[in-house]
Amino acid sequence: MNAKTAAGKRPRMALLVHGNEAVVSSLQDALSERGFVTVVAQDLASALSAITTHYFEVAIVSSQLAGGGDGWHLAGVLHLVFPKAVVCVISLTEPDVLALQAAINYGVREVYQQSRPAPEMISSILRQLEHSSRSSTARIAARRMRFG
Amino acid sequence: MLTKRSILLVDDENSILETLRLVFEREGYEVATAKNSTEAVGLISGNGRFDAVITDLNMEEEDIGLEVARAAMKSKPRPAVVICTGFASMANSRAALEMGVDYMAHKPVELNDLISALNRLISRHREWGERG
Repeated sequence: MNAKTAAGKRPRMALLVHGNEAVVSSLQDALSERGFVTVVAQDLASALSAITTHYFEVAIVSSQLAGGGDGWHLAGVLHLVFPKAVVCVISLTEPDVLALQAAINYGVREVYQQSRPAPEMISSILRQLEHSSRSSTARIAARRMRFG
Repeated sequence: MLTKRSILLVDDENSILETLRLVFEREGYEVATAKNSTEAVGLISGNGRFDAVITDLNMEEEDIGLEVARAAMKSKPRPAVVICTGFASMANSRAALEMGVDYMAHKPVELNDLISALNRLISRHREWGERG
């Protein structure tokens, strides 16, 4: 965990599941700059352990997990456990039609090619998070108007 | 109390529409059908309140099913939205992902996968609806 958080305020948490140290480091820096505390998991077992102990608003998962394991499947689990979180997958290759469809079916918001600069990925993820938050607020307001 | 699940099926091929109707009626769904996007959007924006909408992509126009999906995503409460297509491309898959479509199935559709995905999505949508 590497971001400073305001006293008394619950930190915004991000889960990063990736085995490549350079990728982890650049994403962690970009997340930290945007005020997120990052939990890094290098494999499936440590990712599952992190799920049971934290609430995540953002999850970024490698499509191929270190030590074997399907990153897509883990992303699907993360979407089920944290339905309001923005869950994204990082792929070594440029996403193709099958990757986009897997993203839809696993509840993944976006697939990024690993070569994309980390600050760009994080900006894109945070835009989606903001959009979800606005939609959720609008839904609650609409329900309040309907039910008084 | 759980109400009967309702579904709108949209496809310009009669045989597919009738097959899916039989399948989903047997699964206990209340089924409505539409043979083109105009009819489908009319049902969605009218009084029809659906738990799920399954739409083909290419009907009277290429990728017109995305318009059906878009209309369904706007309706409240939002139904689970599924696209079934034999013609997935980067453009229509990207559009579906950005729109937030819940499931994309390839034709010929594996019915057991489709039914289980749909049951899971509807349960989750109902749960979210109750939570607000």
